[in-house]
Amino acid sequence: MVLKLLREVLKVGQATVPYPFVPVEVAPGFRGKPEYNPEQCIACAACTIACPPNALSMETDLENGVRTWSLFYGRCIFCARCEEVCPTGAIKLGADFELASFTRQDLTVQAEFRLAECQRCGAYFASAKELEHVLALLDQAWKGQQSLSEDDISARKALLRLCPECRRKVDLPRVKELVHTAWPAVEVLDGRI
Amino acid sequence: MMLRPEEKTQRGQRYVQALRQQFGTIIQEETWQAPEQVTLTVDLNSLPAVVDAAYHQHGGWLSVVAGNDERPLNGHFALYYVLSVEGDETHNGSEPESCYLIVRALVPPNKPEFPAVTPRVPAAVWYEREVRDMFGLQPVGLPDERRLVLPDDWPADLHPLRKDAMDYRYRPAPETEDETYEFFDVQGEGVLQIPLGPLHITSDEPGHFRLFVDGEHIIDADYRLFYVHRGMEKLAETRMTYDQVTFLADRICGICGYAHNVAYSNSIERALGISIPERAHYIRTILLEVERLHSHLLNLGLACHFVGFDTGFMQFFRVREKSMKMAELLTGTRKTYGMNLIGGVRRDILKEQRLQTLQWCKELRQEVSDLVGMLLETPNIVQRTQNVGRLEPQVAREYSPVGPTLRGSGFPRDIRVIHPYSAYDRVPWKLTYKDGCDVLARTLIRAEEFFESLSMVERCLDTMPDGPILTEGFNYTPHRYALGYVEAPRGEDIHWSMLGDNQKLYRWRCRASSYNNWPSLRYMLQNNTISDAPLIVASIDPCYSCTERVTVVDVRKKDVKIVPYKELERYCRERKDSPLKA
Ligand code: SF4
Ligand code: SF4
Repeated sequence: MVLKLLREVLKVGQATVPYPFVPVEVAPGFRGKPEYNPEQCIACAACTIACPPNALSMETDLENGVRTWSLFYGRCIFCARCEEVCPTGAIKLGADFELASFTRQDLTVQAEFRLAECQRCGAYFASAKELEHVLALLDQAWKGQQSLSEDDISARKALLRLCPECRRKVDLPRVKELVHTAWPAVEVLDGRI
Repeated sequence: MMLRPEEKTQRGQRYVQALRQQFGTIIQEETWQAPEQVTLTVDLNSLPAVVDAAYHQHGGWLSVVAGNDERPLNGHFALYYVLSVEGDETHNGSEPESCYLIVRALVPPNKPEFPAVTPRVPAAVWYEREVRDMFGLQPVGLPDERRLVLPDDWPADLHPLRKDAMDYRYRPAPETEDETYEFFDVQGEGVLQIPLGPLHITSDEPGHFRLFVDGEHIIDADYRLFYVHRGMEKLAETRMTYDQVTFLADRICGICGYAHNVAYSNSIERALGISIPERAHYIRTILLEVERLHSHLLNLGLACHFVGFDTGFMQFFRVREKSMKMAELLTGTRKTYGMNLIGGVRRDILKEQRLQTLQWCKELRQEVSDLVGMLLETPNIVQRTQNVGRLEPQVAREYSPVGPTLRGSGFPRDIRVIHPYSAYDRVPWKLTYKDGCDVLARTLIRAEEFFESLSMVERCLDTMPDGPILTEGFNYTPHRYALGYVEAPRGEDIHWSMLGDNQKLYRWRCRASSYNNWPSLRYMLQNNTISDAPLIVASIDPCYSCTERVTVVDVRKKDVKIVPYKELERYCRERKDSPLKA
């Protein structure tokens, strides 16, 4: 037994790797530190809802029209849910796993975004970038549709530039008419059926 | 809709009929959650009788007990006693059939007590203590009056899992400065007490042991755990959405996290009637077995360590690295795989990964068989482990232990066979059990299971069907509930989950395998010498902690001695210079 063991030990040689003096290689597809690109981010908050340990958060300041996106690596579990739900590829997991740091600050990433102003009442409502992103997507979708005239499209787009409250008010006459045609007996009162 | 579309008929009808015949109107309601899961609501006073009948007359094993505060739903507290009912050995000449039979009873809030089941089914003891702590329901007739989970300084009337009790972040001011927990008091001439802990023997979590010895001989043992209860159930129920909990389940255990993840996912998939793709079943099976590889290698390494063969320990850990690499390659990380979503898995296994994994399987088979060969040739391995730490079959039958601990005492019980999930009924494999009832049997089972796991990974990789890996677009239906279960390396992990009406869980009861193994450990320690204690504890491969020190109480001399754990461990390895002398 001892001989066999000795042979094994000699055969293997040194098994300990000289880390951290030599970097260790990780497998392709390894889930390391999430890398964030604020240029691509539209502040839609999808990632903050998906993030299981609340490493990602979003604060909206309606007074000043600013939304702050933040990622705290100290809470991150490297699960990649953020990457999975992000519509623009603004956050992706890299291979870096050496995050130790002496300051909390080093573990925090933040970005600020402007909020869009309602074209009617001036209140801040959604992230401006997100709104532009949605409008651009809808533009693509609506372009080819025969049933929609140029005017229809710009009317709909204008509607989206309003805050939810104003949108409801402005859109009411159209909804009333739709309801009236479908169910003549139903009366629409102040936005409620 | 069902998890397994091919399975249309309800399994276990015969047990329900037999119980109905015996108990008549005591059984008030019968609901099926899945083809193999039935819940019977019974009259509260007859709870012990029904659980007893299912356990002792129909080959039942107690898997878990879940308390639930259903006052907002139906005005009552509820208790769910989950039994895996497997029939008697003879099956009365018919085919064996098994199901999860859940006995449910409602407890009125104005009289929060219930008749304890423990006097008839000892396996319920920890569960009833826990239900008392967490829900403030008093088990009448429970012989053990001590808290299980809550610390000594926790307020007496604060029961954390009641819906109106507290926010999950609330930390009440300590009620007392002193330790008030009462350990057993074993009297007798020459009996000595040895406390071990609160930091434990094989891993790095706290637990406190007290051994009662006469000379070097263990007469009895008592222990206390839950020093670091993390409040995960509360956290999941209040802070997280049901689809985020998979990631929390991964973190229940540093070893069998993925097993918990699959058990949790299955519980939700069953509750919501989601069919998951075939390929996802195979991927889950592969990863579960990869997890078993590294877990069993860890335990085999420790077995070497405890019999004084430390080079073997190092060698096992060296080759174990390959199984960790395998996990990294297949999941993107060494532990906390994060691979499941409700409905399937998130990452496919591609060709290169498959080939590399097969190559590593081949290498591991060779390397580990050499090492196991050496371990078994170590002169004192058999002498140190044979007939040591005996778990008698009768004791095992009464306490419902799980995994290799149970299979080492002659019971061929493995959830992968009894209640097949994932792809375990799609690929052929061999179940291992032994009737040595000792440390040796449990160790050999792990060694054999290791090789079986390798073969299973290979078979699954070779035969897995192509296709999608995730089912999406299902509906969240409030208040449905079901069980999910997995045979983790240490035995059955089981989760009982009930959905809420707010994208969260109303109740999540997760039970790790070691929970069922602890209560019978006392009997394994009895009649052994203290130099074998670390070896015996390691043989159930407990998931919790490093017993840092040991107190020895000599009953004859009436003195207490604290032995550093390192010293006891050294004594276990060298068996020289007893720390009790001098
Ligand atoms: S990787 Fe997971 S934990 Fe980390 S930020 Fe993304 S979603 Fe949150
Ligand atoms: S999901 Fe993507 S785009 Fe949306 S806030 Fe997060 S990082 Fe930005």
